[in-house]
Amino acid sequence: MNGPIATLALIHDTFREAFARRVIWGFFGCCTILLLFLLFIMRIDVVAGSLAAVTIFGKSMPTTDVQNLVRQAQSVIAMILYFAGMALAVFASAGMISAVFEPGRIELLLSKPVSRTHLLLGRYAGNLLVVTANILYLVLGSWLIFGVKTGVWGAGFVLSSLFTIFIFAVLLALIALIGVLWESAAVAIMITWAILIITPILAQRSTIERLLSSEWSRDVVRVLYYALPKTSDISVIVRDLILGQPVQSWMPVWSTAVFGAIALALALWRFERRSF
Amino acid sequence: MSDFAIETEDLTKIFQSRWPKRELKAVDAISLQVRRGVAFGLLGPNGAGKTTFVKMLLSCAHPTSGRAKIFGRDSRETGARRPVGYLPENHRFPTYMTGWGMLDFYGALSGMDAPSRHRRIPELLELTGLDERAWHLRLGKYSKGMLQRVGLAQALMHSPELLVLDEPSDGVDPVGRKHIRDVLRRMEERGVTVFLNSHLLQEVELFCSEVAIIQKGKLALTGTVEELTSGSGYRIESEHVPERLETELRSRARAVAASNGSLQLTFATREQANEAIDLLRSNQCAIESMQRTRSTLEEVFMRTVEGSK
Repeated sequence: MNGPIATLALIHDTFREAFARRVIWGFFGCCTILLLFLLFIMRIDVVAGSLAAVTIFGKSMPTTDVQNLVRQAQSVIAMILYFAGMALAVFASAGMISAVFEPGRIELLLSKPVSRTHLLLGRYAGNLLVVTANILYLVLGSWLIFGVKTGVWGAGFVLSSLFTIFIFAVLLALIALIGVLWESAAVAIMITWAILIITPILAQRSTIERLLSSEWSRDVVRVLYYALPKTSDISVIVRDLILGQPVQSWMPVWSTAVFGAIALALALWRFERRSF
Repeated sequence: MSDFAIETEDLTKIFQSRWPKRELKAVDAISLQVRRGVAFGLLGPNGAGKTTFVKMLLSCAHPTSGRAKIFGRDSRETGARRPVGYLPENHRFPTYMTGWGMLDFYGALSGMDAPSRHRRIPELLELTGLDERAWHLRLGKYSKGMLQRVGLAQALMHSPELLVLDEPSDGVDPVGRKHIRDVLRRMEERGVTVFLNSHLLQEVELFCSEVAIIQKGKLALTGTVEELTSGSGYRIESEHVPERLETELRSRARAVAASNGSLQLTFATREQANEAIDLLRSNQCAIESMQRTRSTLEEVFMRTVEGSK
């Protein structure tokens, strides 16, 4: 069976390329700086379940309930990871997907006894695992630091990382589709960042609809909202999970999943039919 | 089990651009058969469609019509590519890989398990003449010649039955070319079919037993090198030919050369050559030699390409 050997080779190759492009070191460095900040700069003294003192850079901060403070801090980290980390991950991954389609490289890959679907999914999985490893490093690292320092071990923060990985998987499917269509990392970055920018605006659709005068323009906003990934709405779900609040609606998750599945299916379909 | 390593049937590729609407027939209904175990050369001027033909064989490009088979299996089937080793022209091997790492990666994609790969890699790096110091060096540091060698090693990694090589000695010095030719000769002796796409006609003539010439996407000529280069005439060398007879023979010969009392006459047919010998002998002229003339592959190539213009 060629399948598992080829899959592992494709994933291993993606990690090797990520190391060579300093992508992993870049992510790892940023995550480590954040963890060191939590470890050494933020000092938390807890007495009988309540905060006696919180000091950052040596300055005392107002104290509230320990659990509340930890959850707030975790939600800040999750949001940094969700938006800034996602933008970085998109920037790093776009080049690694489109590089596969370079003339002189793709022909050799296609000449091997591995199906095109397998090749693209192998590369996709490799990229996803590179980013997943870094997300888990930061989330599990900070979760441990908070847990050890405060004794608060809520699972919401760890669970929230799954949504961050999920939204990256959806954006990576879009990057793969753009890569197959145009072989351009720059176009992939531009379109994916545009989605990251436009979706928080579309999330305010009820306000926007009130401001629009014509029905067709309101329809355009609605179609865009439902068709595109709902990064902003999912960030609210992530925050709710961390803060232990009930999730209002799961629609943003499943509709985003549908978008990702369609983008990946289109990428595979186009890759299967393309001549190189 | 098919007798042919490669079979194509009316293989055609038309490139279309939507705006402005234009069509380019890169490969035009090529039907070709390459027997198992032979060294086959594919020739043609730049833009003749050779690379597109090879890409369709390996399913990198999809044919517009027609089909290609590898050892009897449709080339579009994933499994059909298992016995094929390929070295593309203008390859861009990932520069972050080492020579060893590259062979390991492409070996794994060919379905080899880790112990087999680790056994095979040093064998091949030695066979292709790569210095041991270069094995763990990044490909970005390799010279063009070293890249060709490691590329050839990559194509041989899974012990293929069919080797498809696109300009394998491109950028390699004459010593390296000889080395590559020797490696390919060894493969041929083991029964591996070698399909060589090269601009170097001398190299093809030295190595291949059969060739095909493609011109403007069409198959212009195919046959064994022996057939294609032989039979173009007969050369007779004689001495002390009387002037009257020389004038007579010059009018019949296709080509004449004279030097130091020796006359070299080339005739188009065996009959003409025999008649000339009769005349020479009846005039008591000594015949130094008689042989069939041969064309070089370059001459055959030029005639074919010029003829189909």
